Amino acid sequence: MPHDSHDHTDPPSDLALRVKALETALTRKGYVDPEAIDAVVDTFETKVGPRNGAAVVAKAWTDPAFKQRLLDDASAACAELGFSGQQGEQLKAVENTDAVHNMVVCTLCSCYPWPVLGLPPSWYKSHAYRSRAVIEPRAVLQEFGVDIPEDKEVRVWDSTAELRYLVLPARPDGTDDLSEDALAELVSRDSMIGTGVAQA
Amino acid sequence: MGGMHGFGPIPREDNEPIFHEPWEGRVLGLMMTTAAHLKGNIDNTRSDSEMLPAKKYLSLAYYERWFVRMERVCQEKGLVDAEDLEALWAGQDIASAPEAEAVTPHDIRTMLANGRNYVRHLNTPALFSVGDIVCAKNINPKGHTRLPRYARGKTGEIIAEHGGQIFPDTNATFSGEGPERLYTVRFRASELWGPDANPADTVCVDLWEPYLEASKTS
Repeated sequence: MPHDSHDHTDPPSDLALRVKALETALTRKGYVDPEAIDAVVDTFETKVGPRNGAAVVAKAWTDPAFKQRLLDDASAACAELGFSGQQGEQLKAVENTDAVHNMVVCTLCSCYPWPVLGLPPSWYKSHAYRSRAVIEPRAVLQEFGVDIPEDKEVRVWDSTAELRYLVLPARPDGTDDLSEDALAELVSRDSMIGTGVAQA
Repeated sequence: MGGMHGFGPIPREDNEPIFHEPWEGRVLGLMMTTAAHLKGNIDNTRSDSEMLPAKKYLSLAYYERWFVRMERVCQEKGLVDAEDLEALWAGQDIASAPEAEAVTPHDIRTMLANGRNYVRHLNTPALFSVGDIVCAKNINPKGHTRLPRYARGKTGEIIAEHGGQIFPDTNATFSGEGPERLYTVRFRASELWGPDANPADTVCVDLWEPYLEASKTS
């Protein structure tokens, strides 16, 4: 590669090209198997995601013993349904009640419970959410269309350590006749972060 | 950045894809598959990313931030050299000479499925217990810490104890796992933010013992 006045050329602005170059160089030197990267992408695109968490919530709504196990040790309870692994080693389920609305953030980076929710949405990683969720949670909730009565506690969980939080939303009224699968359909990703509520 | 103003509304997107561009998924995969060769750890990785100049940190998108770090560290640790990258940027090929054994798809699936263990047994007694009123120390280290700025100097109540866990402040600099007891501390919003906060609201933060001291007022 010819060099003139500079020691090294500046990286190209095209990030896709830069990423491809790094992957190729690492692959050629034996540090990376591209199929292992495919496996990572496949895991997050098809294996883990908020449907896992929704199944956990629906089971907790219909099975009081499971709900108790979930509140006692969420990692073990989620593992019963086959959801475990990285970023879910120390899961904690926090229950929304008449007195408390829970909401989860990571102000320091963007920690998130992968086995039950998958990768976080961009807004969860945004500077706006990370900065505002702790100081003005109610204003944030209003942007998401959630109004919490003034006298009800909004409890924000800042994921500063390796614990990962899953909100157990309240079961909507009028859903007594629904099956567990039908209930899971009512559980949105945002309701498990606490920026939404489950709605019938 | 907890508690800062000025970042505007939350940027939400309907039907957001898992990865907006295929290269984002490659970056995540590269980070996971090279972790063993780079001999890093999660705290060092976070610390590295935080040590970016503040303007740069704020200007880079999420995966871009991780990628810029990867690209630099892979060169620093000698996995790739700048000439190879420059050749590839220019559309040229580079010589193939495997120097290592790559993590296989099976390895990576196992890693993802098993997770990591951050809990360490401690023989020392806990300094605090559930129900204690504690104060987060007013400390401002230049290096990595997981004590958020907004909690420093504030008083709260311990609501849970989680045993000994790897201490990020030392782990980030490879000066040892130095496990310390981890607690969840609940702060009143009014303690953190003053009288404008809703008196009903609280913020729970997971804090290691060295971040805490007994409250002078309790």
